[in-house]
Amino acid sequence: MVSDHEQVEEMARSFNRKVHFHDIPDAILSSIFSLITDTRSRNAMSLVCLKWHLLERSTRTFLSLRGNIRDLVLLPTCFRAVTNLDLSLISPWGCSIPDSSLNTTVLAQVLHWTFPSVVTLTVYARNPSILRLLAPQWPYLRQVKLVRWHQRSSTTLGSDFVALFEHCHSLASLDLSHFYNWTEDLPPALEAYPSIAASLSHLNILNYTSAQGFKSHELLAITSACPNLREFLATCIFDHRYIGSVGDETLLSLATNCPRLSLLHLVDSSSMSAARGDPDNDGYTTEDARISQNMLIEMFSALPLLEELVLDVCHNVRDTWIALEMLNSKCPRLKSLKLGQFHGVCKGIDARPDGIALCSRLESLSIKNCADLTDSGLISISLGCPRLTKFEVQGCKKITKLGLTKVASILRKTLTEVKISCCKHLNTVTSLQALEPIQDSLQRLHIDCVWEMVEQSVSEATSSAKSPGFKCSEKRRGIWEETNLKKKYKKYNFNGDGYASSTWAKLQYLSLWIEAGELLNPLALAGLDDCPMLEEIQIKVEGDCRHQSSPSSPDDFGLSSLRCYPRLSKMNLDCQTAIGYALTAPSGHGDLSPWERFYLNGIEKLNLTELNYWPPQDIDVNRRSLTLPAAGLLAQCRTMRKLFVHGTASEHLLRFLLEVQTLRDFQLREDYYPAPENDTSTEMRIDSCSRFEDALNRRAIPD
Amino acid sequence: MGSLILDALNVRVQGQGEKVLVFAHGVGTDQSAWQRILPFFTPYYRVVLFDLVCAGSVNPDYFNFRRCTNLEAYVDDLLNILDTLGVDRCFYVGHSVSAMIGILASIRRPELFSKLILIGASPRFLNDEDYHGGFEQEEIESVFQAMEANYEAWVNGFAPLAVGADVPDAVREFTRTLFNMRPDITLFVSRTVFNSDLRGILGLVKVPCCIIQTSKDVSVPASVAEYLKNHLGGENTVETLRTEGHLPHLSAPAMLAPVIKRALSR
Repeated sequence: MVSDHEQVEEMARSFNRKVHFHDIPDAILSSIFSLITDTRSRNAMSLVCLKWHLLERSTRTFLSLRGNIRDLVLLPTCFRAVTNLDLSLISPWGCSIPDSSLNTTVLAQVLHWTFPSVVTLTVYARNPSILRLLAPQWPYLRQVKLVRWHQRSSTTLGSDFVALFEHCHSLASLDLSHFYNWTEDLPPALEAYPSIAASLSHLNILNYTSAQGFKSHELLAITSACPNLREFLATCIFDHRYIGSVGDETLLSLATNCPRLSLLHLVDSSSMSAARGDPDNDGYTTEDARISQNMLIEMFSALPLLEELVLDVCHNVRDTWIALEMLNSKCPRLKSLKLGQFHGVCKGIDARPDGIALCSRLESLSIKNCADLTDSGLISISLGCPRLTKFEVQGCKKITKLGLTKVASILRKTLTEVKISCCKHLNTVTSLQALEPIQDSLQRLHIDCVWEMVEQSVSEATSSAKSPGFKCSEKRRGIWEETNLKKKYKKYNFNGDGYASSTWAKLQYLSLWIEAGELLNPLALAGLDDCPMLEEIQIKVEGDCRHQSSPSSPDDFGLSSLRCYPRLSKMNLDCQTAIGYALTAPSGHGDLSPWERFYLNGIEKLNLTELNYWPPQDIDVNRRSLTLPAAGLLAQCRTMRKLFVHGTASEHLLRFLLEVQTLRDFQLREDYYPAPENDTSTEMRIDSCSRFEDALNRRAIPD
Repeated sequence: MGSLILDALNVRVQGQGEKVLVFAHGVGTDQSAWQRILPFFTPYYRVVLFDLVCAGSVNPDYFNFRRCTNLEAYVDDLLNILDTLGVDRCFYVGHSVSAMIGILASIRRPELFSKLILIGASPRFLNDEDYHGGFEQEEIESVFQAMEANYEAWVNGFAPLAVGADVPDAVREFTRTLFNMRPDITLFVSRTVFNSDLRGILGLVKVPCCIIQTSKDVSVPASVAEYLKNHLGGENTVETLRTEGHLPHLSAPAMLAPVIKRALSR
């Protein structure tokens, strides 16, 4: 042992004498550097020495500008290698660059000179003038993403796009998913520039900013103008009662217009509202979609290159196994599939695989609102699709723990990402128990936080995972009976059934849905107590706070209970679907400020470094604003480096945040439609933001 | 001095028309509270909007604790703004505390105001022997003491905890909007507001007033509207909105706008 150790030391010494990192030729160092994508690492690298600084800058291809708009003329000049430039986050967020009091021609020149190689651009285009300014500076742009959450200025149809198309003839990819415009804006612009339309290979009009869906004639106009599309994402209307709804003819024409499609997402506009749905309804909508199985088969035949397909129809498509059985042969490259409101995807009635289970090459499968999916169907699918790494079920009321456990067990070698949501028989505890076979390998998980136990039906008895001793855990007026649950849980452990503690060894990302007013504390007890690698968590709160009395005791949602996850550093806390009163609560009703205190209480105990926070909103007045308790609580997060509030806040309250010494990056992002215009918003003033940021930037940062 | 105050208090002038219409918000909100009302008036009036110096949207460094001990300082600000803008005659719509400020301003400069429209106004919030202002001295004191006793927590954002469920409705409703400001400013302004008593000078007002009251405003008892009508020196009317709440411009703008319009046209 000792001699071995000496030998190693001797080797190390000789190795050190011979080769040093600085001896590596620049060309190789360059290649090494260009593989590093993490921004913080890169910034650290560039501080080592001048040579490394130059090398790092020469290999830096991605940059997001985050300064204040009036400082734009002071752009650093060392980033000349940047090909992917993001201008959409310049402060104040959502400002209109040409409308500010800058010399715009000088600015355009500066941008052009500082970033000569830009090929991919993301920009907040409040109105067409910014594009008229920037597009000529970078005529070789290939990929453009436009962002706009503000109201559309009253210009002629398509003028935003015309400004772009006129100068950028090499455009191949256009992303409008966060760009508010009318559906009538795009088709005429594409028709006016047929050569650009013909060279577009990626078009994303799956719009999160509005609930408008593209009408069928618009979709057809777009796809016939762009026959070389490889990737197409769009919101549409499948409800046949609406004029312009998408049905058989449209889908087929769309497929024949763009035969090269490898990625197709068609999502019904009502699905974009992101409401969870009711687990208790029967799963069938009142109306059927006008989509037939024969047409689906023909559509699949017309798209042989398809690799990823999303058909999120919000109206019943029945007997879909007929078409799905053909999918594997018609679309041999298909790896990812998501279907919404498709019934009969897999009957699973006998040993033969049917429906989706025949798509053996699938790696990602998401089934939403399939009313007749049973446990046998699930088992059939997991046997038929052995390569699945990602599996999602949402709104499937017939599946139970039995089926899900089998899925996890059969696919335990491949499954790394799972989502279970709004399934009547799968509450949090049962979902986690069902996933026990993949506890060691699961990396990303979404579950709903439903604490009431469903009485497990007898048919559910599996070999080892007997129905645990939890009976209906009662929740009385928000006060969780923790002691009861804990006792019974411990009792279960000592019984020796199933698992001892639940360690989710590889879980990195956890996403939760929880109803407004419910507590978070039971999460660890439900089976997620040990997640050593968990770094990132997303919590979505949904519900109506107006008719519940604001929580007074306990007045703590339970964020501090997440301390049990030692590596947790990033959080998205999304309360925008928690609706309440901002200032106008009728007498006897509470407003949102005690709710914000409820949700944020204890956040300082978590050592978060990054937080995205969506405040609860008052939909009547379109107000999502920080209240005093929120500002006070956020200001106590002593390790916060990046904080983004997706709403508004007044200057008085923003000042609280200056107490957070480590805070480097803060922005108010009103990324909801309609984003408040400066004058009309609750507390948004350009000067306020600028003053705050100046104050923020003036402080010395300890680390 | 001129343009400094226009910037500091976020003064905005919108709309086209010959006559000037000033909207003054109450404590705890800012000029954006008038957003839903504005479209009814911008086509016909030059509308002036501004923020009170204590508003959350104004740089807190501008709040001068020595100057703002009583409402006269706010009257100074209002008159400064109007003078800087060159307004010599206007209609004035004031909510809550701004109604009081408007009353004081019209006594100092009666020729400046053609009409005062007062929403949720009260000359004195504390009860007195024969006067029902809505708040008992002891109730208010207990709130202030809670604020001051727990000042650290208050300043760190836990203020509403101090004003919990055991506080009377009236106090709770009124203080709800107060908490949108920096806590030390809130405490200071609350004292200013609750120490104000304009009953004695109401008779000095010669400008005609329209007093708008909601059917149930926990902060302002119905009798106060009558009191104002009877004691304000000029020609006064009372309009009652068939809606509840202290902030009708936020909760029922479509009901409030026609009432204001009628009052402006008379």
